[in-house]
Parts: sequence; structure tokens; C-alpha cells
Amino acid sequence: MRGNMSTSHHKPIEALDIAKRFGAVTAVAGLSLHLGRGEALGLLGPNGAGKSTALAMLMGLRVPDAGAVRLFGHPPGSAAARAMMGVTPQAAGFPDQLTPRELLSYATARRARAVPFDDVIAAFGLSPVIDRRMAGFSGGEVRRVALALAFLGRPGLVFLDEPTTGLDAEAQQAFRATARGYVQDGGALILTSHHWDEIEAVCDRITMIDKGHKVMDGTLADMRARMQARRISFALPEGAHPPDWLRATHAGDRWHAETDDSDACLRRLVDEGTPFADLIVEPLALPDVIARIKPENRP
Amino acid sequence: MTARQLQAELTLVLRVLLRQPGFWVPTVLFPAMLYAFFGAGLAGSGPAAGYAMASFAVYAVLGVGFYQFGVTVAQDRADPFIRWQRLLPGATSAPWVARIVAGVGFSAVAMGLVLVLGKTLGGVVLADTGGWGRLVMITLLAAGPATLMGTALGSLASARAAVPLANLIFLPLAYLGGLWMPPQMLPETVAAISVWTPTRAMGELAWAALDGRSLPLRFAAVLAGWTAFAAAITWAAQARHGKLNFG
Ligand SMILES: Nc1ncnc2c1ncn2[C@@H]1O[C@H](COP(=O)(O)OP(=O)(O)O)[C@@H](O)[C@H]1O
Ligand SMILES: [Mg+2]
Repeated sequence: MRGNMSTSHHKPIEALDIAKRFGAVTAVAGLSLHLGRGEALGLLGPNGAGKSTALAMLMGLRVPDAGAVRLFGHPPGSAAARAMMGVTPQAAGFPDQLTPRELLSYATARRARAVPFDDVIAAFGLSPVIDRRMAGFSGGEVRRVALALAFLGRPGLVFLDEPTTGLDAEAQQAFRATARGYVQDGGALILTSHHWDEIEAVCDRITMIDKGHKVMDGTLADMRARMQARRISFALPEGAHPPDWLRATHAGDRWHAETDDSDACLRRLVDEGTPFADLIVEPLALPDVIARIKPENRP
Repeated sequence: MTARQLQAELTLVLRVLLRQPGFWVPTVLFPAMLYAFFGAGLAGSGPAAGYAMASFAVYAVLGVGFYQFGVTVAQDRADPFIRWQRLLPGATSAPWVARIVAGVGFSAVAMGLVLVLGKTLGGVVLADTGGWGRLVMITLLAAGPATLMGTALGSLASARAAVPLANLIFLPLAYLGGLWMPPQMLPETVAAISVWTPTRAMGELAWAALDGRSLPLRFAAVLAGWTAFAAAITWAAQARHGKLNFG
């Protein structure tokens, strides 16, 4: 299906030092990133960090003030680049008068070759609403149509700006499965999201930006491997205190601490005869891992 | 642009427009209704009947240009759906071509209804039957300037202001141009302004076409001036919006 992809040796996305200002606001500053085939990249950052602006420059909706972008070796917005990508906008704004089927058949007619769309209808559970006009669709239903349009025809590269905003748990699950399947089949995907669990389920790599600057970059596997950190928590009898070196904090009925070497830490607690009970050792959640890595990476 | 893409764009545009009676009732049916009420009966018979029909034919074409293009161009600005369309594969000009084709189509229907009523209800009899064909040609040509004036309006107005503004300009302009009553019956001061309006110019061209007279150059020049003015406004405003929304 990705016919013209195999003939191109260029990466789906190569962006070098792109920047964008709006008047006095620097939305994106000197951002470089690349995305290979069979890879999903998560663009993270607080509101106003510059995620949507960065995505708009990559897609070809905005022209960078500086820097360069290539999509499969082609300039963004060019016919060659557009032929290989799928997009779902942040706010879809579809005409009320149309049905999802009509929109899908319109989108497929814009491609050089028509593609079937039964797969995306099924993937995003659109069958019950496929022939209903979109006036009065719920936010989640509109979102599912937008996602179906992005994956329609399995393009080589898919852009998703906050794809699951407004989706219920079931639809989010369906999205993750579709996105993962797409990436495993060799597709390239870039998404912005606020949901950590979604980034973790879908992405291989993340790039974190803040105030337009890249503050962190890495693969999820690498991040987990590098961070042997664990969170441990336990209960202590009335009046007992954990040793100072553990720097534990008290919350609820329990004591909590983070450690880079949980084995050594526990051996020491046992050696010192700390009367802990009901011990829990768990890996750090992704946001905590990132919070620990970030200061190291700051330029 | 492939034929398949153009067909898909046209289908999309027509579906959206035809499923909005709020769009096509006023633009397509009103000119014929107004002609039936005020044009056909009052003009009596003879040459005046033909002139009245031609006036309403111009009015019909102008309305489509003003409302379909003026209003939608204003509303489409920064519309997320239009942004999404720009990222689809294929020719980015195709959605615009489809709109123009649809606009000409709606213009033709709106004008055709007026002509049919003219022949049946208005009792228009043309000495030179070639007049029918010439009238159709010249009014369809007037769709170009009408569309540009609509896009100029839509480029300047906000989405919310576009409809009221179109009404505010369109109705007085039709009156001033002598489309609702013959220019000879306009009060003196109004008549002085009338000769500079684009509506009057379109009317004069249509009346001349009906009679088979050579086209009045003076009014052709007035219309060309307005068209260039509208094109310049559209171009400048769109360049500015393009920077804001897509730059
Ligand atoms: N069209 C615009 N005009 C002016 N400022 C803008 C525009 N778009 C975005 N910005 C500003 O650029 C910054 C980045 O915005 P955005 O890319 O939307 O962030 P995010 O998607 O990460 O929330 C913000 O400060 C925002 O206010
Ligand atoms: Mg955003």
C-alpha cells in the first residue's frame, strides 16, 4: 500500500533548527527532530509550549521563520509530501451537512488511487453513525471521524495533534491499538498529547518542549533502562521513624521514598533493623522518570 | 487536477450548499419571486418587459456572487476544515475551482428561472430572438465581476458581519443601478450616482445585449474598474490573512 515509500530512502520527517515567532512570542525556537519509518514520536509539553506550532510547520501549514523541514525528502506542503501523509486537525470543524461516509469518500478521491475505507470505519467504531449527517455529533464522534480520515489509505506518515481529546476509554483503547498496528506495519507517526499513558502505549520516542525549546529527547526504552529508580513505600509502627538517609516523606498512613538502587536500599533498611511492614516497590511513573532526567539534559 | 478530484470537490460543495435551504432559497428562488411580484407585472408589455426581465437576470447573478462567495469566503477564513483540505493529496486549487463552477451553476439556475418566468408570466417577446442567447451570455459573464465583488466583501468582513454587510450593500446597489425600476424613473440625484455603480453597468450591458446594440464602452469601462478594484482588495486582504493564518 505504501508504494512510493519503498522507493524513497529519505526519512518521513527531518527537521533542522526550525523556529517560529508570533510578534513578541517565540512559539518555537531552534527545534530539530527526525522520525523514521516504523517509529512513533510523542511531542510533549505544557499548554503553549509550541507543540501545535511545531506540528503546523512540519505538516506545511505554517512556514518556519528559520530552519528547514523535509518529509520523505520533499518540502512540506508539496504535492509529493501531501501524497504520503495523513492529518487530523486539532479542531475538525467538519461541515454539518455531510456524513462520515461522504467525507471519507471525498478524502479517498483526493488520492491518486482510491483506497477502501472499511478498515478505518471498523477501527474507530464508526458503523453506527457512518450515514448520519454530522450536525449534532458528539465531540467524541467527530474526533473518531477525524482519526479515521488521518489513517485513511494507510499513508506513510500520520500527524496527530491531541488525537484523543474528548474520547471515551473504549475509543482511546481502539486508537492505541490502531496506532500501534500502523507503526508496526512500518508507518511513521507523530503525536502531541497530554495523556502519559497514551504516549507510553503508542510512542517509541518522546521529545519534550517548553517555551519553544527542546528540553528533553529520548526513547522510552532507553529512559526506562537508564532509570533504575524505584518508588518504595511502607508502613511503620506508631512513633517509629525511617532513617534520615532515606529522605522518606510521610503521606497517608505510609512512608514514601525514591531510590536509584532499591536492592541496596532495602538491604540497608533490613541491616539497620527498620521495622517496616507492608512493603511496596514499584517502578516510577513516566512523568516522574522524565522529571528526573530533564535537569541532566537541559542545554 | 484530475477529473476524479474535481468531481469529488463539486459533489462536496453541492452537497453542503443544497442541504442548506437557508442558502439556496434566497439566492436561487428570491430573484425569480421578486421578478414575478414586481418586475413581470409592472413593466407591462413591449420593450420595457424585456428590460425588466434582463434587470432581474442581472440581479440574480449578482446575488449568487455576493452571497455564496462573499459570505463563504469570510466564513472560511481560518476554518479548520479548509486548513485540513490544504493538506490532502492532489491539487490545492481544486476546491476553489469547484466553488467557482458551483457558483456559475447556481447563477445559471437563478437567472434561468427569471428568463422562464419572463417568457411565460412576463409575456416578453423579443423582436430579435438572438437576444435570449446574448442576454444569457452577458449575464453569465457578469458572474465573474459579481464573484470578485463578493470575495472582496468576504475578504474584508468578519464571518459574523458578512451576511448583514452583504444585505446592506447588495439591496441599495440593485436599486441604485436601476435593476428594480428603469434608470429613467430614478430621482435626479440618484440617477447621477447610478451611472457610476457596477450594477448599472451590468444592467446597461445586459439591456444592450438584449437589443443587439453594440456594448456601451463607457459602462464596460466602469465595470472593468470595479472589477479591478475588487480584485485588488481581494488579493491584498487574502495575502494578509494568508500570513496570519498560514504564514
Ligand atoms: N496564530 C498565533 N498568533 C499569535 N500567537 C500564537 C499563534 N499561535 C500560537 N501562538 C502562541 O505561540 C505559543 C505556542 O502555541 P502552541 O503551538 O499552540 O502551543 P501548544 O500546542 O503547545 O499548546 C503560545 O504562546 C501561543 O500563544
Ligand atoms: Mg496545541
